Amino acid sequence: MIELAHVSKFFGDEAAVDDISLRVAKGKFCALVGTSGCGKSTTLRMINRLIEHSAGDILVDGQNIQSYNPVKLRRRIGYVIQSTGLFPHWTVARNIGLVPRLLKWPRETVLARVEELMNLLGLPVEEFAHKYPHQLSGGQAQRVGVARALAADPDILLMDEPFGALDPITRENLQDELAKLQARLNKTVVFVTHDMDEALKLADHLVVMRSGRIVQQGTPLALLQHPADPFVDSLLGGLERGLKQAALTRVRDHMASLGQTLPAQSRIPAEFSLRQALSMMLRDHCDRLTVVDQQDMPIGELSLRKIVKEAQLDKVGARDAY
Amino acid sequence: MHINRYTDTLSANQARVLPLVWGVLLLVTLVGIPYLEGLFRWLEPDARQVIYHRADFYTLLGRHVLVVGIAALCTIIVGVLAGIAVTRRRGRDFLPLVGQLASLGQTFPPVAVLALAVPTLGFGTLPIIVALILYGLLPIVRNTLAGLQGVDADIKQSARAMGMTSWQVLRSVELPLAAPVILAGIRTSVTINIATAALGATVGASNLGDPIIAGIVNGNMAYVVQGALLIALLALTVDSIFDFYQKKLYSRLSAS
Repeated sequence: MIELAHVSKFFGDEAAVDDISLRVAKGKFCALVGTSGCGKSTTLRMINRLIEHSAGDILVDGQNIQSYNPVKLRRRIGYVIQSTGLFPHWTVARNIGLVPRLLKWPRETVLARVEELMNLLGLPVEEFAHKYPHQLSGGQAQRVGVARALAADPDILLMDEPFGALDPITRENLQDELAKLQARLNKTVVFVTHDMDEALKLADHLVVMRSGRIVQQGTPLALLQHPADPFVDSLLGGLERGLKQAALTRVRDHMASLGQTLPAQSRIPAEFSLRQALSMMLRDHCDRLTVVDQQDMPIGELSLRKIVKEAQLDKVGARDAY
Repeated sequence: MHINRYTDTLSANQARVLPLVWGVLLLVTLVGIPYLEGLFRWLEPDARQVIYHRADFYTLLGRHVLVVGIAALCTIIVGVLAGIAVTRRRGRDFLPLVGQLASLGQTFPPVAVLALAVPTLGFGTLPIIVALILYGLLPIVRNTLAGLQGVDADIKQSARAMGMTSWQVLRSVELPLAAPVILAGIRTSVTINIATAALGATVGASNLGDPIIAGIVNGNMAYVVQGALLIALLALTVDSIFDFYQKKLYSRLSAS
């Protein structure tokens, strides 16, 4: 668990981070979002004491980080950065095994752990263990970066725009894998990004920052439904907000049972998002879809009218409905 | 890509062979000079002696290597340590000072250092060692600074973030990554000093500079050539050895 209480950071007279409070419960994924220079990376680095905060308290697992030895604190917190920061003169395997070796794990345990992580991140051991970072593609290098951060099985993972430098396809793949990984490992993650779609896709808790302050925080859905001000609204995509909200909603939650009428021709798996369903309706010029399960058996029906109506119900209480 | 790899291995082979070639040439010259009286006689027909005889060349070479070696050892220790110290957080204030001091050492001509050192240290080997240390410091300090400052800030930051201590970051990350640049500085320093050490002969430090000075004083070109030839071959041998290790370091850093 990570807790920040009234934390500030001053560089000279300038406040890079200004009185922020935030709590990330154990196993939750928190995304810090904002434009560059808003203090999100500074906030992240204060948690593992790469930057010392000027005021307030930061607690890790209920204990003030000032009471930890910084070196020991960092060894129990995974850290991933955009440029990977891998050691160019070390092989992939050696890079991944860094923290366990610092913790003086026995040699065999380190080796086994490195293999386990390489498999977990889809890096075949025979192919990659002895490669050097410059021989990897951007995506592969960042997998190694994530593996290195996870090596000593830390409870906490800090990620600073880890996928920011990757091409869109690789980025999306790694986002998906990170989501799967997180579902399995249940780390407490603080993830810095300026890509709102990435944040919406991955986060349980969304924190929007602007000039060192937290503008709004809450679940992605809550923010989409009630953005606090025009800034948050524009970060969330303005007019696109409806679709982004749809992207977070599953078809399963809005389908009706199969009616008497002829089932629609277009089929959509129940686990897909409403956004994908809407896109399919537009593509296939229809206003009804047949919802199918994993075996491609029809289990329900989705209609445009119902989606729109229920979206309105979601909006009850929203201050600015379109 | 293919062509590149070919030329790379070619130069790597060269780097491996060259020290041997120069080393053998040095040895052959060392052993051969006394037998080449005819050749040197042709160069200097009127001289009484054409082969330098006041000391044998093995001793001169040995003393030359010793003087340069001792000076190099001191320079490396002082230069690298100073470079490390002023790139640490605590020593950062001294960075400009150290840079300027090292530059000053090199702008000060070794002859002047000798002239100033003799009255305090007396004649012999010590003044030339001091002069070489001062003269050789700059390339090492400068390259140590450049090498350490050239290490990617993100790599250093992530090393710290992984929980490495400052000492571990220095030893396992900064120094290995800066090593090729530092080695290049040592190479420059030592190679220059092999030539500069000949000046020691003027203050009574007998080394390969002796035949050169004696030759100049007596107007005997043959002596000068003998000393110069051996110094040049020594410098080439040592330089090619450094080249070999430098290539090895680089290839390890960008190993394939």
